[in-house]
Amino acid sequence: MSELTAVGKPIQRVDAEEKITGQAVYGYDLVLPDMLYGKTLFSPKAHARIKRINTEKAKAYPGVVAVVTAEDAPWTHGETVKDKPFLAQGKVRCIGEPVAAVAAEDEDTAEAAVKLIEVEYEDLPVYTDPEEACKPGCVEIHEDFGKYRKADFIVKGAAPNVAEHFKLRTGDVDIGFKQSDVIVEERYFVPIIQHAAMEPHSAHAQFDKESGRLTIWVANDAPFRALHEITEALGMPKEKIRFINPLQGGGFGSKGGLKVEPIAVALAFHTNGRPVRVKFNREETFISTLTRHEAVVYSKTGVKKDGTLMARAMTIYWGAGAYAEKSPTVCIRGSLPAPGPYRIPHVKVDGYAVYTNKPVAGSYRGYGIPQGAWAGEQQMDEIAKRLGMDPIAIRMKNMFVEGDISYWGEQLHAVGLKETLVKATEAIDWGKPTKTAKPGVKIGKGFACIQKPTRSPTTSAAGVLVNAKGEVTVLAGTVEIGQGCNTILSQVAAEELKVPLERVHMHQLDTDVIPFDASTTSSRSTYHMGNAVRRASIHAREQIMEAAGPMLEAKVQDLGYADGKVFLKDQPQQALPIGEVVRRKLGIHGKVRGDGSYTYEIGKDLDLETGHSDHASAFYMYATQAAEVEVDEESGRVRVLRMSAAHDVGKAINPLNCVAQIEGGVVMGIGSALHEELVIDNTGKVRNPSFLDYHLVTSLDTPELIPIVVECPEPEGPYGAKGLGEPGLAPTPAAIGNAVTDAVGVRVYDLPLKPENVYWAIRKKKKDAA
Amino acid sequence: MKRTEPFEFYQPASLQEASRLLKENGPGGRFLAGGTDLVIAMKEKGLVPKYIVDLKRISGLSGIREQSDGSITIGALTTMREIETSPLITKKYSFLSQSAAEVGSIQIRNRATVGGNMANATPSADGAPALIVLNATAKIVGANGDRTVPLEEFFRGPGQTVMTSDEILIELTIPKTGPRLVGEYIKFSPREMMDLAYVGVAVAYNLGASDKKCEGVRIVLGAVAPTPLRAKRAEAALEGQTLTETLAEKVGQIAAEEAKPISDVRSSADYRRAMVGAMTKRALLNAAAGPAKSWVERRERRY
Ligand SMILES: Cc1cc2nc3c(=O)[nH]c(=O)nc-3n(C[C@H](O)[C@H](O)[C@H](O)COP(=O)(O)OP(=O)(O)OC[C@H]3O[C@@H](n4cnc5c(N)ncnc54)[C@H](O)[C@@H]3O)c2cc1C
Repeated sequence: MSELTAVGKPIQRVDAEEKITGQAVYGYDLVLPDMLYGKTLFSPKAHARIKRINTEKAKAYPGVVAVVTAEDAPWTHGETVKDKPFLAQGKVRCIGEPVAAVAAEDEDTAEAAVKLIEVEYEDLPVYTDPEEACKPGCVEIHEDFGKYRKADFIVKGAAPNVAEHFKLRTGDVDIGFKQSDVIVEERYFVPIIQHAAMEPHSAHAQFDKESGRLTIWVANDAPFRALHEITEALGMPKEKIRFINPLQGGGFGSKGGLKVEPIAVALAFHTNGRPVRVKFNREETFISTLTRHEAVVYSKTGVKKDGTLMARAMTIYWGAGAYAEKSPTVCIRGSLPAPGPYRIPHVKVDGYAVYTNKPVAGSYRGYGIPQGAWAGEQQMDEIAKRLGMDPIAIRMKNMFVEGDISYWGEQLHAVGLKETLVKATEAIDWGKPTKTAKPGVKIGKGFACIQKPTRSPTTSAAGVLVNAKGEVTVLAGTVEIGQGCNTILSQVAAEELKVPLERVHMHQLDTDVIPFDASTTSSRSTYHMGNAVRRASIHAREQIMEAAGPMLEAKVQDLGYADGKVFLKDQPQQALPIGEVVRRKLGIHGKVRGDGSYTYEIGKDLDLETGHSDHASAFYMYATQAAEVEVDEESGRVRVLRMSAAHDVGKAINPLNCVAQIEGGVVMGIGSALHEELVIDNTGKVRNPSFLDYHLVTSLDTPELIPIVVECPEPEGPYGAKGLGEPGLAPTPAAIGNAVTDAVGVRVYDLPLKPENVYWAIRKKKKDAA
Repeated sequence: MKRTEPFEFYQPASLQEASRLLKENGPGGRFLAGGTDLVIAMKEKGLVPKYIVDLKRISGLSGIREQSDGSITIGALTTMREIETSPLITKKYSFLSQSAAEVGSIQIRNRATVGGNMANATPSADGAPALIVLNATAKIVGANGDRTVPLEEFFRGPGQTVMTSDEILIELTIPKTGPRLVGEYIKFSPREMMDLAYVGVAVAYNLGASDKKCEGVRIVLGAVAPTPLRAKRAEAALEGQTLTETLAEKVGQIAAEEAKPISDVRSSADYRRAMVGAMTKRALLNAAAGPAKSWVERRERRY
């Protein structure tokens, strides 16, 4: 291959200016002509039967155009389990569940009218603890679970409220523990947190009776999946539904699946063709969209004296909240690699996705990896301590390397883990003495390793248009959620067509014209869509060269291609710019279109009994992060002093963007480590649904960040690229947890490491010692 | 955020006019200063004032002035940012400018006024403890004339002060202090910025030049009682003594016993109480060590 011209370059984001200058129009900003304003009535009850709904007063309120309840929208949806009604049907399962909605001429009217809807509830038992909700004798939150349509791979648990039971069985852990010299066993806990994207959720919908077409404008990260879910729910043909994606102001996993869309759609059928907008405010976003799974992790590890891992047994309760959403797949893909990126002969994992009467949990950047790592990586340090081994040495001894067969039966390749570990720990001067702390303040270092799979198998398709001016338009279904895909995909097209980046333009995402893409999730886009755009660009280039042959009176094999031109190999000055080729072939309005798609061909499906698969993921992302922290023993306050993050990205298509992704991920990870926690009381009520008491980190809480890009190329990836979106925050809490323990000699098993939690742990140790 | 209900809006140019407006319009009105508490209460907490009287057109209500008797007056409409950056305050009472610097963010401090911080009477208000340790008094003007009350007696409970709804807080006065006065304010909250105090501690005392004895000790706690709270037993334990680390620890423990914290979504009462102890100790020692020279040093000394 010739030298790279666009790929691998630290190019500034193509959307930077538009966003920095405030010109970008996000979904939340969108105003459509003749638009109505929607407002939602949310359940005030965590678990209750709906005895009666009276909408008469709301309907009679001046300015109200439509009031809808489940009677008007008797549909359900769900990615893998169709358990979620558009609007509550007969019962509510969490506070914040949409029960009814109003569309009115203006926002104030909608708000006033929604308050006039009367609902009578009959209380049912409320479950707020995933470990409790699956005890024998508990009432089923979804009594009709058996009747729901669901994906083939769903394995309903035997216990109540278990929507999915994932099993991993390798070797025999009983034997493994018998052969171990040291066994460590502990319970870890990760609380519910939320994505807190800057832009809250909203959706616009319009139904045109004459054409029978439904149009939905929403910043959804997987418009084709949303299209599929709506199609299935409504029983409408796919061609009649169209999704248009305005810009998305962040998502982090919270904007896939259907959130506000069902409410907007339910209203749109009753507004005589007028579009309706439904917007959630911050509080509504907190209680009624999506959260990250709380997880109770029991982990037991057995090891030989020399540090060889023998067995690991983990039981993970994933708190799914009121509806299944992505819980089954978070449970599978989070539980599978939870034992860590290590060779372990005997492994047993049981993951349970358990319904509770809390806000719905689903995908969140990292997809279950942070929860497993919080337990597994801290336990690795515990074992090292018990053996008197260095935490690096024990990992080096056991970690996955090229060609290893993983405990789920897959042979691994392109394993950049070791390099990430070496570089991340070196960056914080591991093993060297630290600066002396003030009295009462202790300094410590710690690190954690992770391996993350991506959703597989999946497909991405793309189109590339070249017009008679030589300008390139890319048709790709990847959503610019802030991660920089428009820049990356532009670079790929610019690379293959050898044109300057300014000549490449990304088409707006519209399911009527854009080729299929599975989703902008799971760190999959650079790899899958990158491959698709690359193939589409090559396809366009081939057609252009084909067309240029007669124009240059040469055979295709005698033609060369560079700098946006086709030329004669032996007479390079005889060249035609690609725009000129298009013009001569198709005329001034002509366009050459290239198409390409990429599907990762999976090997054997996941075996539901053993959890084994010979190709569980298209590629794996490896990372190590290392933290240096300061702990104030008198207050329990943890301050991160510096944090290195080494990520194996395969190939950095845009190093600048990689660094930005890593930094953004680490900052988010620090928030989840030190501050973030959605506090929900035992009545199911969120106690801190605002930024006053839900604490994201500020710039002042952000330490010195040391991002490190490691490139261990993935042969199937475009130019060797893997993915990077999610892992940035996955090892962060565990790394900080290990550093805190190194500093104060106490382990805090429950996140977040907020001052109070750390303080009581230190106090307890002092008391025990006395 | 909710749109507010309609309300009448007045912008009087004098105190007399403001008083008259209140008399004529009767109860249900609110004064507006920077609006950083009031507007949020209206948009998010369902407060519906019948009418609003903006104080910002009334001249003479803002600014920091040293009087001939050595006292300092701070107009009620003075912003937190002005107090934070005032050369006079920074030089004389650096801990008071620190307490102002702890409020929200620069954007908030550019609007937030000290009068609003007092009148709103949140138990966690950052401005109150440092002003109380400085023996500040509050000048209040109403239809029935003026009165001056010690700031220590100004607060009555969360959101409640001694002012009636037609009274305006116009200025705070810090009486002259001795040349050996030292002090400190520590705001304890998990996040570095944009957080409410879980515990606030202000201390001040006169530090003997040679004997290092502490005299005129004042310790005021924020966010651990319905109003800012003087820890009088703790003060007494230090009065006339030479400060040592052991003594600071003991005084902190007494202050912790005096605190009346509650448990809420932010923190348990027990933890707040423990932090009163730790932060009082630190504040006492920091005060003796002299003002922090930089923001970073201040941050380092807090924890
Ligand atoms: C994002 C954010 C962060 C914040 N962080 C902090 C913080 O860290 N620490 C902290 O202490 N506070 C904080 N606050 C609260 C607020 O900024 C302060 O309390 C501020 O000082 C209030 O002053 P104001 O001028 O904005 O008051 P306003 O909102 O104008 O008024 C508040 C109340 O006082 C009354 N009032 C105002 N002035 C007078 C007067 N002269 N006489 C009689 N009554 C009067 C008003 O009628 C109203 O009831 C924060 C607020 C926000 C929005």
